[in-house]
Amino acid sequence: MTAKKWLKTPKGYVTIAMIFYLLIASFVSKDIAGIQNAFVAVFVSVIVDILCRIVKKRKWSMPDSAIITGFIISLILSTTSSVGVVAGTAVMAILSKYLLVYKKKPIFNPAAIGLLLSILFFHSAQSWWGAFGDLPAWTIAFLLIGGYTITNRVNKFPQLFAFLGVSFLLLLLIGYFNIGDEVDALRPPFINATLFFGFFMLTDPPTSPGKDKDQVIFGILTAVAGTIIYGLFGGLTYLYLGLVFGNVYSFLKKRSASKASMNRSDVKKNRSLLTDR
Amino acid sequence: MAKLDRKWVVLCSAAVTAVYAAGYFSTEDEAAKTTLRQQPPINIQTQADQTSLSESKNQSKKSLYKNGTFTGMGENRRGSIEVAVTIQNDKITDVEISDFAMHYSESDVVGLPDEVLQNQNAQVTNVSGATYSTEAFQDAVQAALDQALNI
Repeated sequence: MTAKKWLKTPKGYVTIAMIFYLLIASFVSKDIAGIQNAFVAVFVSVIVDILCRIVKKRKWSMPDSAIITGFIISLILSTTSSVGVVAGTAVMAILSKYLLVYKKKPIFNPAAIGLLLSILFFHSAQSWWGAFGDLPAWTIAFLLIGGYTITNRVNKFPQLFAFLGVSFLLLLLIGYFNIGDEVDALRPPFINATLFFGFFMLTDPPTSPGKDKDQVIFGILTAVAGTIIYGLFGGLTYLYLGLVFGNVYSFLKKRSASKASMNRSDVKKNRSLLTDR
Repeated sequence: MAKLDRKWVVLCSAAVTAVYAAGYFSTEDEAAKTTLRQQPPINIQTQADQTSLSESKNQSKKSLYKNGTFTGMGENRRGSIEVAVTIQNDKITDVEISDFAMHYSESDVVGLPDEVLQNQNAQVTNVSGATYSTEAFQDAVQAALDQALNI
């Protein structure tokens, strides 16, 4: 595949968006530490991805998804994170891609799992600086432009709207009935995190469903689980944990579809055997 | 899997934006209250020494800080921390995190009060990588020390 063709693929789109966000956020905040972290995260992700492919005896292909995972990790981890934390997060993310699999496809979004484990094991600070969490609110326009372009490219609008709509609705209800601290979730940097997450992590094709109806259920499930966790515990893990629920739903859906198709082919085989007799 | 019609994309976007706006504006009062709550109090001297007026005047000439317990608040976009700093004869004798409202784990800053006692100032090292909590803590201690300044 030529570079020109690759740039038009969904992975090409996401990579360009991530590089663009990395440069904008670094330039506006006048801090190059994030770019250094991006080099570390992408480098480690690619190396671990190549090693896993060799161990699993998979055929060679460009590690573009590992590059994206590395970029996402570096854009979310605080720019003050140590090299060890950035590298460790990248290693866990890529390992999850090869260890937690169904039919060679990852069950969970690698970046989300890596970042979730990073909080648990390293107490990593996650600022979502690449989602412009520390910058003026108008920079959210960049997220919307990039996010809509990618969501359109991968046909994931149903799950995006279901996720955002239900998340905001639940936060509105929490606010109306005064049963939790929803104020922060609707404001930067949390709203930046929600949008970045919805556009670039939720829409990951291998770990989310394809059919419109399944996409809507996936989006609702992720939003409900995430918002309940936010309402009960606060913190920063709610988006990842919500996605874990969504990913499990997507996995179960794929597995049941696969079983149903196997059963159908078994019935066909048995019928053909009977008619042969 | 057919692409969602552009008309539906616009309609759904408008609906999601409307729900978001309703949530945002309905919580504006609460957000304003939170901001007000997070303003450092003008002067909270909860445990000032019971000294005579002359002694107090004498002390105010010599010492940098007033004796007593002073509270300070540090905040950023990730939450806020309130500390209570006790000062006796220009020495920080106790630091307590009286309110932790960050979106990170409190364990990240649990060792920082001891560091303030050791250093005898608001500067602490960010060993855990919890930059935002550390910054909020430092600001809170500094705010408390500013309250205690004998001016």
